Amino acid sequence: MDISGAEFIKAAALLGAGICMGLGAIGPGIGEGFAAGKACEGVAREPENAGLITRTMLVGQAVSESTGIYSLVIALLMIFVV
Amino acid sequence: MGGSTSQKNIHGQKGFIAFILRHKVLFGVLALLIFEICIAFGVHPDMSKVAEEPEKLKHIFGFAIPLGGINTKTIIMSWIIMGILVVFSFFATRRMKKVPGKLQLIAELIVGGFDDLCNETLGDKARKFLPLVATIFLFVLLSNIIGIIPIPGIEEPTRDLNTTLGLGIMVFLVSHIAGIRYRGIKKYVAEYFEPMIEIKGVRIPNLFMFFLNFVGEIGKVVSHSFRLFGNIMGGAIIIVVVSNLVRYVLLPIGLNIFFGIFVGLVQAFVFAMLALTYISMMVTE
Repeated sequence: MDISGAEFIKAAALLGAGICMGLGAIGPGIGEGFAAGKACEGVAREPENAGLITRTMLVGQAVSESTGIYSLVIALLMIFVV
Repeated sequence: MGGSTSQKNIHGQKGFIAFILRHKVLFGVLALLIFEICIAFGVHPDMSKVAEEPEKLKHIFGFAIPLGGINTKTIIMSWIIMGILVVFSFFATRRMKKVPGKLQLIAELIVGGFDDLCNETLGDKARKFLPLVATIFLFVLLSNIIGIIPIPGIEEPTRDLNTTLGLGIMVFLVSHIAGIRYRGIKKYVAEYFEPMIEIKGVRIPNLFMFFLNFVGEIGKVVSHSFRLFGNIMGGAIIIVVVSNLVRYVLLPIGLNIFFGIFVGLVQAFVFAMLALTYISMMVTE
């Protein structure tokens, strides 16, 4: 069985999408977990500010999630467009 | 039946609601069954249709539409959402009382919450941007959670990049124009050259930093809109793929609750908060 050029490109794109998503999810995972842990400490220290801390945590997590979203977009492009 | 009367006294409810509360397990199982039946008979989205080219309106009254046409489904869904919002706000503010009714209470909660947020970040200019930020939140929230309705053809407008990019560009334009208006063009332009080089007390604009800041401003729009799009699109794809894997048994409900309601709510809030932050960064000194 021989593989044509187009098939090879498709296979490489699928492999690349998997690698992209896997590596790209490491950073946001660590970052968001760290932010959630720090927010937990903050809430434990001053429970009266729980609302403000949770809000700030969510916004910060969403911003640090950007890189993961970028890799998701790249992975989607590689799966469906290439 | 002693048990039922005491329960009625505890909950303080009569009639149909008490009946549902007494048989909540039964009704929950019934609702699950109906949902499963809905999903089993072709209501579910097709796996191959997740990322295919959407239908586009290419000609209108004999004229070709530039930029490759209009995405009809997105337009219709966003008009439906706008209609729901208009009707909701009409009925919520029609007969306003000092002791609010149910609808007025919901509206007061949303508006009051965002009023506090705007006051914290924007100070005296809060009331100018409150309508924009609160409307963005409501629109994005409803757009995100409308996807949990299991009817074919109903999908989130935010699943389309055009919607989110439009919102992102709108926030970008509003924040920059407001920055020029409230601080003057001189301070606005000078910000692009920060941090400036200081030689013997003289501040020289840094051209290298200009390019970095410029790309940073473009990147704000891109990350702002791609974040919403990526979250909703990713959630939709995960729902379809996992639903196909488990043959639409039980798990899609939990996925819909998580990706539809929870992620939708968080992302709508984040989108509005970031819009507020971008505006306040431009407006305040």
